[in-house]
Formats: sequence, structure tokens, C-alpha cells
Amino acid sequence: MIVCVAVVGQQNNPLYIQSFTEAEDDLKLHHIVHCSLDVVDERVNNPKRSGSTLNETFLGLLYPTENYKVYGYLTNTKVKFILVTTDLDVRDADVRNFFRRFHSAYVDAVSNPFHVPGKKITSRTFAERVSNIVKSFRLSSSG
Amino acid sequence: MIGVGKIKQYTNVLEKPISKGKQEVSLSAFAFLFSELVQYNQTHVDNISELERRLEDAGYAVGARVLELLCHREKGNRRETRLLGILSFVHSTVWKVLFGKVADSLEKGTEHEDEYMISEKELLVNRFISIPKDMGTFNCGAFVAGIVRGVLDGAGFPAVVTAHFVPMEGQQRPRTTILIKFAEEVLQREARLG
Repeated sequence: MIVCVAVVGQQNNPLYIQSFTEAEDDLKLHHIVHCSLDVVDERVNNPKRSGSTLNETFLGLLYPTENYKVYGYLTNTKVKFILVTTDLDVRDADVRNFFRRFHSAYVDAVSNPFHVPGKKITSRTFAERVSNIVKSFRLSSSG
Repeated sequence: MIGVGKIKQYTNVLEKPISKGKQEVSLSAFAFLFSELVQYNQTHVDNISELERRLEDAGYAVGARVLELLCHREKGNRRETRLLGILSFVHSTVWKVLFGKVADSLEKGTEHEDEYMISEKELLVNRFISIPKDMGTFNCGAFVAGIVRGVLDGAGFPAVVTAHFVPMEGQQRPRTTILIKFAEEVLQREARLG
């Protein structure tokens, strides 16, 4: 089950953070997202295998903590998407699919001429689309 | 009875299904919008360089969004890290999506290491514009220069981009060249990547 999604900008400034649990540990999730940014930077600057993975956008599993798994995705403009989930057996293809749809929603939100790049994303349509994507991910992975 | 044996006629125009529409915008609509943009900015500034800067800023916003959109839609989510890669991306993909054709040529500058030029026989935005003599070297292609700067900046290649007229012998209208001058750190990074 997805507990948190986040969009982080180029200078590691948060653009959109949304958690999907009823419990009140939002701060802990934000902290996990913040720690995973270091892992993203490390992956980007020191590629393990230079060449094929140098330009890949999907970064994969960043690191597993005690009961969460964190996935990362990097767009062409150094904007990072972070996904925190509690599922133990989530498939790679599902996560890629999720990030593809999330990227689509993000591109639509940024194309808004009233959106200032670098500021938080305040579009309600974007928030609705994200919650729809999260809901359908929940249904598809539990089936 | 009405309608039997004939194609279904919609009595109400609101019931017609919405057509998907063409993916293109009419040239005259764009030319009109662009001329209004230039005129609006002209009434708000005092000198030519300010006007050029405003057009470039307008283009910068477009470029940043075009980069996000194209990387998601066309390039299959691959990131460009090399200089030649991003230049050929601008030269072919961006130009094709914005203007319907690839740019005429991409050249490397001879005097300096960090200069590249994209040239075009006639920029689409300049097609219906003629610059009055008292405006000197002003070029409305500053809008396109702003778009290129927005794309390069978003991808992590800071650069100074300007538009110039280059007179060609044998042709009445001069050719337009977009001059791209990359920042120092871009060249250093490129040298480090080998």
C-alpha cells in the first residue's frame, strides 16, 4: 500500500508531498523522503555501471527501511519523484507504470502557465489525479 | 417517421460528439498572437534591449515546459547528459514539434570552444515581421532564443542564447542564426566525462 508520494525539485526543495495513511506519522514519512534524496544524489553522481544506466530515469528501489520500501525516479530536469510503500511484494513493472502515469500528471501540472517553476504545485487537478493513480495502484497490486 | 433510412442527424448541436481535432495550430492564429505579444511589450518598455529581454523571458517559460513535455512524450524517458546529445535534441525534436520541421543546420563555432549555432533560412516567428530601420539589430527571434535557453537550462546546461541576422549574398532576406554560448561549468563537465 502506498503511504506517501513526493515531488522534489532541482535544489532538493519540496514541490509536492502527499501521504495516504490515516495514521499521524506524516513527519516520519517526510523524514524518510528526505533521507532518500541522499541516495538519489549518490546514484546520479556515481553510476555503478556507466553507459547503459547513465541516462535511465527510473532509479529503482532506493533503500528498504524497517517496514517501508522507497522507490525513486528522476526526470530530465533533475526533478525527483519519491514513492514510499509498505508492500513487500510489489512488482517492478507496477512501479514503473505508476511512475509513468505520475510523470504524465506532473507534466500537465507544470504546463500550466500560472505555475511558477520552483514553487509548490498547488493545482487541485494534480492532487486529484495523483490520488486516482494511487487508488488504482492499490487495487491492481492487491489483486 | 423522421430519420428512418437516413444518417442520424443531430437535432441539437450540443449532442454532436466532439471531434479529436487536429494536432496543429493555424499559422495565422499564431502570427496574430505573436504580433500582439510584441506590440504589448513594445508599449511597456523604453528601449530595444529591454524589449528583447522581455521576449526572451517569455520564450524561457515556454522552453522549460516544452522540455518536460517532450521528454515524457517523445524521448522515452531518457536523460541527456552530453552536450552533443542535448544540441541534437534541440535541433531536431524541439524544432520539429514547435515548427514542423528540423532546423536547417547546426554548426560549431570556430573562434571559441563554447559556441554553437543553429541557423534557419527564415524563422517561423519572423515570417510576417519586418524590422523598421530605426530599431537597428533587434530580432524577434529573441523569443526562439528564449525557448532554446529554457530547454538548455532545464536540462542542466546553462547557456547564453541570442538571435542574429546573418546577411547572405544572393538572397533578399538575411538568414537567422541562434548563437548558443555555454557556461564554463558545462565545458568542464563535458571534458570530465570524456
